[in-house]
Formats: sequence, C-alpha cells, structure tokens
Amino acid sequence: MAKPAVIVVGADKGGVGKTTVARTVLDYFSANNIPTRAFDTESPRGTLKRFHPSITEIVDMTTTSDQMKIFDTLNSADASVTVIDVRAGLLSPALASLRDIGFLDAARAGQITFAVFHILGPSIASLDEIAETASFMNGAKYFLVKNFINNTSFFEWDQATYNSYFHRIKDATELTIPKLNEMAFEQVEVASVPFLKFVANKGIKDEDENYSFVLRGYVRHWLTNVWNEFDRIRLADIVGGKPKGGKATPPAAAAVSENAASEVASK
Amino acid sequence: MLRTPVYIVCSPRPAVGKTLVARLLTEFLALARGQAIAFDLNLGEPSLVDFLPDLTETADISDTYGKMALMDRLIVHDGLAKVVDLGFHAFDEFFQMCDEIGFTKEGDRRGIEPVLVYLADHSRMAAQSHRMLRTTFPTTALIAIDNEHVLRGDIPPGFTPARMLHLPALPAFLKTYIDRVPFSFTGYLRDTSDTSAELYQWTRDNFSKLRDAGDNLRRYRV
Repeated sequence: MAKPAVIVVGADKGGVGKTTVARTVLDYFSANNIPTRAFDTESPRGTLKRFHPSITEIVDMTTTSDQMKIFDTLNSADASVTVIDVRAGLLSPALASLRDIGFLDAARAGQITFAVFHILGPSIASLDEIAETASFMNGAKYFLVKNFINNTSFFEWDQATYNSYFHRIKDATELTIPKLNEMAFEQVEVASVPFLKFVANKGIKDEDENYSFVLRGYVRHWLTNVWNEFDRIRLADIVGGKPKGGKATPPAAAAVSENAASEVASK
Repeated sequence: MLRTPVYIVCSPRPAVGKTLVARLLTEFLALARGQAIAFDLNLGEPSLVDFLPDLTETADISDTYGKMALMDRLIVHDGLAKVVDLGFHAFDEFFQMCDEIGFTKEGDRRGIEPVLVYLADHSRMAAQSHRMLRTTFPTTALIAIDNEHVLRGDIPPGFTPARMLHLPALPAFLKTYIDRVPFSFTGYLRDTSDTSAELYQWTRDNFSKLRDAGDNLRRYRV
C-alpha cells in the first residue's frame, strides 16, 4: 500500500490565494487519477468544499476530535493523498499541533509523506512567516508558492530583500502560480465548479453548461501553466502517485485539453 | 455539414489592403453561400462597416467582454461563413488571445475552419509576423495576399509564391471608384452591362481566385 501523503496548503496571511492553489492541486491529482481527499478548515462555511464537495470535509483543526478525524484515518482512508486547506492565520498553529501529536516525527522517519505549500503574500510580514514556518520543516517538502493571480510582486525589484527571504531556507523550492484573467476567475467562482469542469464546460452535476469559450480558454491555458509547475516539482511522484489501475502517471499538463478535461471532469 | 469557414484578414501594418480584401471576401462568400457575416475591428477608421453595413458588425477586443463577444460568435459551427477584418492595431492582441485560448484547436474540434488571410508587404515586421503565424498556428491554412499595389511584383523573402494569392493592381481611377462608399462589387457585377470592362473582369477574376483558394485550403497549410 502506498505511503500516505499529506499536503498542507496555507499561509498566515489572508487573501493570498490558498484555496485557489488547493483547488489546482485537487484538479491535478484528479487528472492524474490519484485518489485524494481534502479538508477545509474554513469552519463552519468552507470555501474549498464549495468547489469540491464530494471529496472535501470541513474541519476545525484546533479541536482534538477533528485532528483525529484527519490524522487517525491516514492509513485507513481510500484516498492515499490528503490535502488540507488551512485557513488564514492557522498555518503556524497547525504545524505546531502536528509537531505536538508526533506527526512531524513520523514524516521525518519516512512513515508519511508530508509537503507544505506556503502561499506568500506581497508583504514583509508574509515573508517573515517563511522563517517561522521553516522551523517545522525538517522532514517535510517545503514549497514557497508565489501566487501572481492577484498581480502580486515579491520584492524582485529589491534583490537584497528578495534574497534575504527566498534564499534563507536551503531546501525550500519556489513555485510560481501565474495570473489568471480576472473575469475568467470570477466566472469560475460564480459557477462554483472545479477548474477542470469549467474547462470541460460542465456544471456541478456534470450537466452541459454554456460557459464562454474565451473564458474557458483562459482557464485552460492558465491551468496548463500551473500544472507545468507541479510537473516540474514532480508532485505526482512526491505523493507516490500510482494511478488507480496501475498505469503510468500521464503528464498532467498535457491532459488539460478539451477532451481530456471533459473525461477527467466527469469522473 | 461542411466546416464553417472563419477568414481572418490581417496584417500588423496599416494601408496594405486588408479592408479591400475583407470586402471582396465578404461579398464573394455572401454571393456563393447565400449569406455571410463580417466583423470589423478597425474602430475609428473608415472601414468595412461603411461599405457593407448590412453584413458587418463592429467588434472591439481591447477588453475581455469584447473578446468574449467576438470569439464566442466565431467558434459557433452554424454554416455561416465569417470574415474578420482585423485592424493592424489589434493584430498582436488578437493572435495572442487565439493562442492562449486555443482557438484553432477548439475550432477544429467544433467543425470550424479558420483561415488566415495575410497581407504581405516588404517590411521586416510583416516577415516576422508571417513567421509567427506559421509557427504558432502550424495546422491552420495561411493565405498570403500579393497585393500588387503594395508589393509591386516583388515577392518578399519568406513568402512562398505557390501559397500566395495575387491581387492585381487597378488603375488609379478605378481604385478611387471602388473606394467610394457605398460601392459594392456584387452590386456592380449585377448592374453592369459591359462584361468586358476592366473592373468587371478584375472582380470576377478575384472572386474565382477566392473560390479556388477556399476549395483547396490544403494547399495553404504548411
């Protein structure tokens, strides 16, 4: 049986695109046939659940019962990959909880694959989180995600500041999420469907929809670029991605064609 | 049902004859197929909509709303031939968008036949843009127009004469005549009694070439 993998997507700052990135990760695993479940810590409403209701559960990570719900079921769940969308302000406390319950030790011992997608905002405060979060990262794959979806810049214009943060942690890998056309982003929000279903012109219950061809094109182009980044860091390999049925993992970026999206979205 | 043709008449340069070709093409398609529609992306200039107001809609792709309004029409397989008169100012934006949204691939899947009609000239920009179209849309038919008024019989490097459509120059007085709104080529063919007149022959000859090109698009693919 594959080693369970846990991916935490979070930031201590709000509005930096945590849920957007979590959604692209879920779409990526879906396209690669990797069984995945998700936990949304936006308790009680949940944003991630709105887009991926069938695989997402809303939890309150600060409670012991919900921590048990997530971590005590890692080996028994059908899905080998667990994605946790950690709400704003909870990343550091969540990592501290993981340390306290021995999860980080298990990751360090190689019993669990653990990865953190740390979504960065454009402020020094956000960059300060890197140092804070890094202290928990021994044994984990640590990804610093520069999310350009809201036209952010990350102090590239000030190399001293940029280097002092981005090059401080040796084992962190940078990941870039490109900008998506605003209207396309809004239209997916309104449709409340995964990006893949939007590209495939499908509604919540797989019914045919009539989304704009232009907006679907923008989303497809953008999602391909995001998945190229995931392919670059070999995300499917990191989580031990053997698709159901034992076929080799297809390159995800190539799968974001209209037909492939349609097939994947209907799963 | 045969594929729905979408002709995109384009060049990154002004005053090379785009609107003249778009007029000829729209009138020919309306005559040959019974109906056709054109989209004019030359806002603020005297253009296609002035000559063919009944067949032409204006479009603006400077924002996403405009792009949606145009492209969501072009991608429909309804048998209605479409012509886009793409102003030089919109050249880069239009083709960047087409590349990003996968217009040609999606068009192919939906039964659309995009055809690029490119007005050649001697500038370096024209050669670069022609090369860009070839590499970005390798499976799409690309007809280069050899407008004698512009090229003066000299084919620029990078263009293949076999994949070009020659548009002979008209004498100045006839050029002035056809450029006067609301001149219509089809109306002229219908109304004139002198079938040996130069303009009659020129129009018929060009309509024949357009029909031949439309029937043999494979010749214009890489």
